[in-house]
Amino acid sequence: MALASSSEPSQLQPVQVEDSIISARQLTKKFGDETAVQDVSFEVPRASIFGFIGPSGSGKTTTVRLLTGVYTPTDGEVIVLDHNPAKFSQNERAQLGYMPQLFVLYPNLTVWENLNFAASLYGMGLFRGKRLEAALRFVELYEHRSKLARNISGGMLRRLSLASTLVHDPQLLFLDEPTAGIDPVLRRKFWDHFRELKKQGHTIFVTTQYVSEADNCDLVGVQNNGKLLLVDTPQGIRHHAYGGDMVDFRTSQPFDFQAETMLRSLPFVLAKTIRTGSDSMRIIVDQASTATPELMGWAQQQNIQVKTVEEYTPSFEDVFVELVRPEVEHG
Amino acid sequence: MGNFFRSIIRASSFFRKEIFEILRQPRLVATLVLGPFLILFIFGIGYHDQPRSLRTLFVVQPDSAISIQDIQQYGKSVDLLIIYAGVTDNQTEALDRLRRGEVDAVIVVPGDAIGTIKKNQQAVFTLYHQQIDPAQVSYVKYLGWLYVGAVNQQVLRSFALQGQKDAINWHTSLQEAHQNASAMRQAMQSGDEALAQQKQQQLAGNVDAVSLAVGTSLGLLDSLPQTKGTNGGNTDPVQSTLTDLRQNTNQLGNSTANKDERLTRLDKIDKDITDLDSKLAEFQTIDASIVVSPFRSETKSVATAQPSISDFFAPAVLALLLQHLAVTFAALSIVRERNVGTMELFRVSPLSAAEALFGKYISYMLFGSVIAAILSALLVFVMRVPMLGNWWYFTLVIAAVLYTSLGIGFAISIVSQTDSQAVQYSMIILLASVFFSGFIMSLDMLLPSVRIISWLLPTTYGTLLLRDIALRGVDPNWMLLGGLIAIGLVLMFISWRLMRRLITSSQ
Repeated sequence: MALASSSEPSQLQPVQVEDSIISARQLTKKFGDETAVQDVSFEVPRASIFGFIGPSGSGKTTTVRLLTGVYTPTDGEVIVLDHNPAKFSQNERAQLGYMPQLFVLYPNLTVWENLNFAASLYGMGLFRGKRLEAALRFVELYEHRSKLARNISGGMLRRLSLASTLVHDPQLLFLDEPTAGIDPVLRRKFWDHFRELKKQGHTIFVTTQYVSEADNCDLVGVQNNGKLLLVDTPQGIRHHAYGGDMVDFRTSQPFDFQAETMLRSLPFVLAKTIRTGSDSMRIIVDQASTATPELMGWAQQQNIQVKTVEEYTPSFEDVFVELVRPEVEHG
Repeated sequence: MGNFFRSIIRASSFFRKEIFEILRQPRLVATLVLGPFLILFIFGIGYHDQPRSLRTLFVVQPDSAISIQDIQQYGKSVDLLIIYAGVTDNQTEALDRLRRGEVDAVIVVPGDAIGTIKKNQQAVFTLYHQQIDPAQVSYVKYLGWLYVGAVNQQVLRSFALQGQKDAINWHTSLQEAHQNASAMRQAMQSGDEALAQQKQQQLAGNVDAVSLAVGTSLGLLDSLPQTKGTNGGNTDPVQSTLTDLRQNTNQLGNSTANKDERLTRLDKIDKDITDLDSKLAEFQTIDASIVVSPFRSETKSVATAQPSISDFFAPAVLALLLQHLAVTFAALSIVRERNVGTMELFRVSPLSAAEALFGKYISYMLFGSVIAAILSALLVFVMRVPMLGNWWYFTLVIAAVLYTSLGIGFAISIVSQTDSQAVQYSMIILLASVFFSGFIMSLDMLLPSVRIISWLLPTTYGTLLLRDIALRGVDPNWMLLGGLIAIGLVLMFISWRLMRRLITSSQ
């Protein structure tokens, strides 16, 4: 597998992928005068987890629908499994698993009957009981299999939806906010399972509002207001958000103004420094790994006693806010 | 696993799903079975096949030639239909009572009936009512017609009775005529021409008197063959006999005629008098009521059974219920999938429109058949509705009604945007079926152009075919059955095209 990895963040440019299972080029979808998705381009490598993050209404679901053939693009091109999704054959559709954002199965059927229905939709053989049981055990619903769907909680419905998506073992999964309403423990279990599926060669295209979940992905697309801001690895996205790696630098005595000015002028310090305390600074550098020894050397030269120097990994919430800030500031 | 087998599995997913969803609503199933049965059962018990009686107030002017006794007498002929509520001479008060609902009808008796008739005009009985139901209005008109018919019959009967009383006198005149004819013959044979002339004149007087009186009465008797046309269109025999009698009597007075010729005429006169006398005797023996109303009707059916009103409606109720059930279930089926969002799931899945429709058709056909079987069993074995025909044909028609109705429902479902829209469309189909399928009134009462709507509704075919099989015991009309199935095929094709657009076309 060759994941795109770039030290230089790529904005509005598709990451070059050797073996892509999904390829979107200048995808645009308009509903009347309203543009839901605008000029979106990206590629998803086979056997990877592609996270699509963005706030509510950013066009994530519309993009998923464009990729699954529910919508046809107003402009642009999309290729999934080497075909146009709008013209998928039955065999190609059988390789997809799709979990919509909302529960769309039947409230008057039991958990088991709903899952059985989903399995039948994909033409699974008559002896599928074991497979159904495994799917329900995975989402921890096996004990509730006889309950009517209308009598289970919202979180359980999400789990049932996920089980229904996974039950036929699809090659390519489209999961639209699968972890919404799921408790953190089960959410972690889901992500463990997604990684396991990836190891088995499955590709997962997953949307989420939990930007922290982006760390679980191989590639992340950040979407806002219908536009894809960038596609990169989680690390690459952080790098892009702040203009480099972040290093927390803490000394034994308080920083004076002169030391701070000198620090800012160092060649490996890329952008502004952030004072996080009287004796600590957060510095943005090109590469944290090479900048750390150089920083230690500079402190020694300046007779500054260093307490700690360590790379700081900002949360994806912070990264996301940083990424969309220019858009917000520009209205 | 082959594609065909996968298709069967996909279609079966809908079959199971629909059946489970229905079975999760036992009250609905119970209502579908017991509701129509109970309605028909109570209707069968509660319906009484008697015409409505009207409380009728009569308005009679004091100077009217028709007495209260006459009115009551006239009313006896229709006394089951008219409840005598009294007589008044105040028309305004009578009409006020009618408006207040104290009586159902007011009959105003004509004031100077005899004077009107003498002016060669019909006297009018005016019947007032305050019905707004067109059927009841027709019934009241019919009742008025019956009442006046009874009055007319009473008047004619009086004439006939008077004629029969007078017939005794006419018989005497005929006997005299006969005696004068015999005396004339004897006078001629004895050569007494003067006596012969005298008897001839007496005979002519008898014949004139008889002609005037007898002709009218015996004409009543002779009007029957005339009405039937059995006399070949000739003048009626009584009048013809009387004319012959008068001509022959007058010819006897012709002095130029020879003796033999006059005797021959006397023979004819004798014969005509005997003939008239015999008819007069016959006239006297016939009841006056029969003379004025010689015919009555009797209806006899060659149908195998004579079903009661609830029996007659049972096949129509069954057809209507099954159509409504199938249309409603199918109409809600797809629109719900779309509103819930399942359609999006279907669009991404390998499911085809044909598989989805096939699964839904089969499940609803099975469900409808079970309902039909239970309901039919209740109708036949509990309500004792006749089942004279072949059960297999009956089943075939039920299946065809369900199949075609499902086609209507699926087409509605695909074009509807919401549940309530689908329900509204289904109700319109139900309403159309009640009015146009022959459920309430016979199809013959509709204009041929309007009957096109009837022939688009499965209930129309179902009602006719099920009645034929169950109540007449005959084989189904294969043209009708073929037409029903053909409509079903067309609807299935349309539904499939619409469904395909819904499932496989991107938006």
